[in-house]
Amino acid sequence: MTLSRLAPYLQATPLTLILAAFLVLPIATIVMVSFWDYDSIQIFPAFVFTNYEETITSPVTWNTYINTFKYTVIVWAVTLFVGFWVAYYLAFHIRSTTMQMVLFLVCTIPFLTSNIIRMISWIPFLGRNGLLNQTLMGMGVINQPLEFLLFSDFAVVLAMVHLYTLFMVTPIFNTLMRIDRALVEAARDAGANGWQILTNVIIPLAKPGIAIGSIFVVTLVMGDFITVRFMSGGQSASVGLMMANQIALLQYPAAAANAVILLIIVLLLVGGILRIVNIRKEL
Amino acid sequence: MNSEKRGLGFYILTAFFALFVLFLYGPLTTIFILSFQGPNGGLTFPMNGSSVHWFKNLLFEQQAVGDFGGAFSRSLILGLMTMMATVVVSLLAGLAFRRRFLGSGPLFYLTIASLIVPSILISLGIGLAFQVFGLSPAWYSSAFGAHLTWTLPFGLLIMFAVFNRFNPAYEEAARDLGATSWQTFAHVVLPIILPSLVGVGLFGFTLSYDEFARTLMTAGTFNTLPLEIYGMTTNVTTPVLYALGTVTTLFSMGIIVVALVAIAVLRKRRARKVAG
Amino acid sequence: MTKKTTSKGVSRRQLLKGAAAAGGLAAGAGVVTGFPTIWAQNPITLRQFGTGVSNLNAIAEKCKADLGITLQMTALDSDAVSQRVVTQASSFDIADIEYWICKKVFPAGTLQPMDVKKIKYYDDIVPIFTTGKLTPESKIAQGTAPNTVGFVEGPESKVFAKAPTQWMTLIPTIYNADTLGIRPDLVGRPIKNWKDILDPAFKGKTSILNIPSIGIMDAAMICESAGIMKYGDKGNMTKAEIDGTIDFLIKTKKAGQFRAFWKTFDESVNLMASGEVVIQSMWSPAVAAVRSKGIPCVYQPLEEGYRAWGGGLGIAKHLKGAQLDAAYEYINWYMSGWVGAYLNRQGYYSAVLSTAEKNMTPDEWAFWMLGQPAKADILSPEGKVMYTVGAVRDGGSFKERMGAVACWNSVMDEDRYMVRRWNEFIAA
Repeated sequence: MTLSRLAPYLQATPLTLILAAFLVLPIATIVMVSFWDYDSIQIFPAFVFTNYEETITSPVTWNTYINTFKYTVIVWAVTLFVGFWVAYYLAFHIRSTTMQMVLFLVCTIPFLTSNIIRMISWIPFLGRNGLLNQTLMGMGVINQPLEFLLFSDFAVVLAMVHLYTLFMVTPIFNTLMRIDRALVEAARDAGANGWQILTNVIIPLAKPGIAIGSIFVVTLVMGDFITVRFMSGGQSASVGLMMANQIALLQYPAAAANAVILLIIVLLLVGGILRIVNIRKEL
Repeated sequence: MNSEKRGLGFYILTAFFALFVLFLYGPLTTIFILSFQGPNGGLTFPMNGSSVHWFKNLLFEQQAVGDFGGAFSRSLILGLMTMMATVVVSLLAGLAFRRRFLGSGPLFYLTIASLIVPSILISLGIGLAFQVFGLSPAWYSSAFGAHLTWTLPFGLLIMFAVFNRFNPAYEEAARDLGATSWQTFAHVVLPIILPSLVGVGLFGFTLSYDEFARTLMTAGTFNTLPLEIYGMTTNVTTPVLYALGTVTTLFSMGIIVVALVAIAVLRKRRARKVAG
Repeated sequence: MTKKTTSKGVSRRQLLKGAAAAGGLAAGAGVVTGFPTIWAQNPITLRQFGTGVSNLNAIAEKCKADLGITLQMTALDSDAVSQRVVTQASSFDIADIEYWICKKVFPAGTLQPMDVKKIKYYDDIVPIFTTGKLTPESKIAQGTAPNTVGFVEGPESKVFAKAPTQWMTLIPTIYNADTLGIRPDLVGRPIKNWKDILDPAFKGKTSILNIPSIGIMDAAMICESAGIMKYGDKGNMTKAEIDGTIDFLIKTKKAGQFRAFWKTFDESVNLMASGEVVIQSMWSPAVAAVRSKGIPCVYQPLEEGYRAWGGGLGIAKHLKGAQLDAAYEYINWYMSGWVGAYLNRQGYYSAVLSTAEKNMTPDEWAFWMLGQPAKADILSPEGKVMYTVGAVRDGGSFKERMGAVACWNSVMDEDRYMVRRWNEFIAA
């Protein structure tokens, strides 16, 4: 009896320990260091608010956050649109499970190549003399190479959509698969047209999936730095990139203060999403 | 929509899906084509002849900088470690969450938090924590932990999805037949969820294998493969990078195929058992 | 690639190499213990990290063959390098870092100063790194010149000494004078000054470096050349000077002059090779890399002079005993010529020229160091043809290039402010 009551605690112990050591402790360290002081050479224990002061009062921070939000909103909207329809197609139009699985794998294979190498390969794809420009010029669609394709906000968004759409597809697909087909039939029998079925039956039932996918995409974009750096050719900033720069210059306390602010914002965003849907129940 | 005849929507969505796949494969195609550059070719178009020179260069010759082989084996071992730890820990946690226990709510939200805390923050935090405590980071300790904070939430979410749909009747039947709880687990629960566990493992491996940001400040003396590739970009400007991309992709595909075959075999065996 | 090296000019070079290495080995070991140590019987492993620029496997291989010391090389990008030194002191034995990074990391106390008495070739090191003057009459360039951070006051000190002492922070390995690289086929006009990068004709086709300590110096060279700013000391700007420079950069960026900012070697090569950019600040081997793909690219000397950089080897604080001896021996070997010749052949410069010369053919030496036309094809260390007969090195001889250094990559007193403004520029 006692053992069986104890069992869940024992079973949850490894997870708890790992998260305590590699999540709680590091974040506590970040919070602590964010109050430390530093000069161009060293960081030293202290309790100062200058890191927060400098971060919050600087217009750079605000611009950077606005820029990051801009990316987040655009990427979220695009991945939601694309992700929903891809998931919808897989869930409702592909009938055999095997085929669904095969198509899913087809979508995941590009992610098996090292991300860094994929980033580099966007240059020959989108560049001035790249594959896309040459194809378009060969087809006579354009006679001047399109410059905005690379090293621009467009390029950043494109690469992020490329990276993160699948994080949207998977949870939405998961919820769509669990929708009772009888409900759809019932709606049709009651005279609903395709659009009404979509907006009144399917989308409301797909909400948990949409919420989970949104959490993935929002947090991934908010914390991204490598995509922004590569795809904007170093011309745009994001919060992650700002932190990465500060870390590179050994300004850990400043980076830590930035990290704490970023963390709070991300938690608020996710908290907001979680208020709308209880994902634990809906999984 | 599930009517016998394919409607217009089907064709529009098929075209949409095809475009999406095309988009996903754009960079991959570039990598693939460019890895066959001629011996004097670069990382960008135009092609400068075509050859398998860079594959030979990758596999049989030493590079000017870096150590692909070492980095690759570290990444492989780390991926396998992460895979096993993810499977075991998330299975245990998944079992725990099937019952009520004190602190289950906070633990759940902590796990979700682990998923949403930006990677670079985890990396910085673990790096700083190791520094503050005077420990030396290494790919098998600090980076391992950093990867787990990323793979475990995925693992746990999948386990939730599995157990939410798990029919307890099987277990009750086993218990009624006098099976101990261990026997019930080993002979009833485990075989049913095994394919999902393979999925969790696969997830763990691929997420860890290509993880960059979380490894950046936690790897210690030696590089993992993504770090190595990044470091090599400070010197290497030849298509050998693309050849590496092509080879590692084929390798990962190989792993997936093996996993799929494993799932298929397990399913078949289960089906046979059930039938027999 | 490595195989080809050995097939070209083996006999002569091999001979010289062998002789020099043997000499270096005997001498190096002699300093430490009084008789040659054979590390092969007492295996020593040194973990070295640095950027891919100098962390070459060929050096590790040769070191193993000559000294029996195993070098484990880890290549990182320049950001990671400085972090490693400061935060993970036990993760390395030898750090290969740049002088401006040294200014930031040495005071952290994770490196130990080296006793110049144990450095065999100390007296032969190019004086840029000791007195700061290439020739007795030359002026010390602005910025974090290597001599300003090359020495500390004592064996335990973290304070940089004003003049050479017995305690050296870094043993110089490679250095070079950087300038603008251009695509002669695409710029369509002669390039003479740093300000030419601002030419409206190159709108959207230029790039500069996005490493603040280096990029700000590029920017300063450009601003000064265009007459937009006057600096008291480019290498140590006042807040007002930083503001003026960054404001100008922001304006230029908003006008769309830049195509991208690069951070790693490969990015600069790709930008140039793919034609995204026709004029940008560049490193010499990057120019060579573009050229090796059959694409014309010139390392253009400019009237205002060069922006120079240098790197060196530092020894980790925790090294002692046999490992420390081995580190000294490795460093002495590093300067004994073979490595120097290898680096010179890449288009960099090595710290001890006299030993490097002995490891190069007279023709190679004349081409790389004296700025004379090549009498035969000039090969890269991997054995690829880099220049054909009659070619002349861009910028000419060592004296002409290193003698025309206007500034070094720098860490300024107002570094924290500069970095904030730099981030603003990137975010603009």
